[in-house]
Amino acid sequence: MDVLQDILRTLSLPDFYFAMFRSATPVLLTTLGAMVASRSGTNNIALEGTMLISAFVGVAVSAFTQSALIGFLGAVFSGFVVSSILAYFVLKLNSNSVISGIALNTFASGATIFVLYLLTGEKGASTSLPSLTLPSITIPLVKDIPVIGTILSGHHILTYAGLILVVVIWYMFKYTRLGMHIRAVGESPDAAESVGISVKKVKYIALSISGILTGMAGAFLSMGYVSLFSSGMTAGRGYIALATQAIAAGNAVVGMLASLLFGFCQSMANYLQSSSIPLQFIQLMPYLIIVIAYTIYCFAMEQRKKKKQFREADKKK
Amino acid sequence: MKKKLLSAFLVMAMTVSMLAGCGGSGSDAGTADETETTDDSQAEESTGDKVKVALLITGSFGDKAFNDSAHAGMERLMEEMGDQVEVEMIEMGTDKTKWEGSMLDASESDADIIITGLWDMKEITEQVAQEYPDKHYIIFDTDVDYTLGDLSNVYSMSYKQNECAFLAGVLAASLTSSDAEYANEDAVIGFVGARDTAVVINDSAVGYIQGAQFINPDIKVMVSYVGSYVDSATAKELALTQYSSGADCVFVAAGPASVGVIEAAAESQRYVIGVDSDQALAYEGQDEANYIVSSAIKNVGDSLVDAVKKSIAGELPYGEYEILGLKDGVVGLADNDIYQSIVPEDIQNAVNDARDQIISGEIEVNTAYGMDEATLNEIIDSAQ
Repeated sequence: MDVLQDILRTLSLPDFYFAMFRSATPVLLTTLGAMVASRSGTNNIALEGTMLISAFVGVAVSAFTQSALIGFLGAVFSGFVVSSILAYFVLKLNSNSVISGIALNTFASGATIFVLYLLTGEKGASTSLPSLTLPSITIPLVKDIPVIGTILSGHHILTYAGLILVVVIWYMFKYTRLGMHIRAVGESPDAAESVGISVKKVKYIALSISGILTGMAGAFLSMGYVSLFSSGMTAGRGYIALATQAIAAGNAVVGMLASLLFGFCQSMANYLQSSSIPLQFIQLMPYLIIVIAYTIYCFAMEQRKKKKQFREADKKK
Repeated sequence: MKKKLLSAFLVMAMTVSMLAGCGGSGSDAGTADETETTDDSQAEESTGDKVKVALLITGSFGDKAFNDSAHAGMERLMEEMGDQVEVEMIEMGTDKTKWEGSMLDASESDADIIITGLWDMKEITEQVAQEYPDKHYIIFDTDVDYTLGDLSNVYSMSYKQNECAFLAGVLAASLTSSDAEYANEDAVIGFVGARDTAVVINDSAVGYIQGAQFINPDIKVMVSYVGSYVDSATAKELALTQYSSGADCVFVAAGPASVGVIEAAAESQRYVIGVDSDQALAYEGQDEANYIVSSAIKNVGDSLVDAVKKSIAGELPYGEYEILGLKDGVVGLADNDIYQSIVPEDIQNAVNDARDQIISGEIEVNTAYGMDEATLNEIIDSAQ
């Protein structure tokens, strides 16, 4: 019963929901990135490494230019560069995207520490770099509403950017030429090519967008969530995004819900740590729920497919 | 095609066997760079009579904790005994599969004393040390199982982090009910550890809780674990949660992820107690430093210097395991300007009293080593 009480008490805290958005942001941005790449038919496994490099570049550039904006642009640009490298391997050299992605991830974890060491003489964290952070935003009017104001206002600028980008990506896939092309290339590259779409170009653009979005997630980690870079700070968030992306199946809004589900579980796990639930269970909860959600999704898809087949079979009769 | 593949394999096999042959015949071949350097140093050894010390650390330097402390210790050793010792420091990185190879390399080399540390190296040392009975091994922060075989050439030592954590508990519990600037009214403090599976971390937790209860039996200690040593964002999130639930002083034992907790402290304007080394030094001149009341220090470097000195004098008890604590001056709380300015005198006295009582044996601090899960949970529950 204590457990239930703990959960209910946590659910009644506005701080909890605020933390949910905060935990979900890096996963949300990366999910969108993964989605764009995946819809174009390339699995971007390098998200984890891209995020790590962007987090580092954001800190380093903002420390040296003393401008948070330039730091942010640097982070986004580095995301673009890393995804271009991946694109070169995959599209130009026709290498396996999974293997290239893993290579980039391994490279990122080593390279960030190496450059950090060159810059600061340290290998753990960038505490000695005077890096800047991007601001948080209080929304006028909304902030005065009790409870909802506390939950929705005062978030980091990239949290709002992530939520806006959900709509942008959704709109892009649904109504724009580029979105259609990405989908076409992902679903049937041959068909797309036959109507004159340059498959490689579209895939390259999709990977670039994916890198830029992931770069923003990296910037959020090191210029918002915390205000420094520490080695390996992405801690698997890039891989979680691959799972949430799979659940979303190319739908940006579902992707947002999946990311928020992850944020919800993560922040629930943080709050419940001092309750009587075994810690090991609490820590695996976010991942477990993502796996369960994905299983349910796959099951539902399979059912739908079967029904469709039956219907078609019926028609033939 | 098949023939090509076969011949490639053959060439490879031959090269490997050739290289292996070189390694086996020892340093007289001198083909690779590595063997050459061995040659040089061996020649040197025959002329000068220096003791060669090799330090192998897991991970890399720059962790602001153990490895840096060991590094500083080696530097001091070279400064103080440069005429007698020669030191080589090797960063083995984070790839665990390479550690055993590095250990074997070091054992093959002409190093006399091989120093390594942490629990991860325990099994590797147990194996390698038996293969090289004429080398000496010092392993810190873990014990080795001396019943496994002849390990009379291994000296193992660990630190009573529970004792400095006890002092951290005393400090936190006193601070939370004091009228210090950032303390609130609730008698609630926090602990953020790296992994609940690491005995070292739990040892700190156990000592911390005991220390806190020593001051105030009714105190509430929130205990959270990051589940990782590197996830600074989650560490921060956990600390923010604790601060917003009423904790005003959090003791962090989460390795490199500790920086997240320190940031959370500065953001929430609450206190934090650092770990392993004096973490306020890393933030010198920055706002964050003002919230790091103190740090529970494990002085790995000093203990290594002592051990090497003793070894040279022939006094180090190889084949034994020692636990060094407050009494040996290896662990303690960081005493710096921030500590002096934030902590009122009566609390400083309380901390000093507790230290004296631990040293004299009046207080016996619980340890998580050899403690079963149920007892550990009981201790954590007792402070809820």
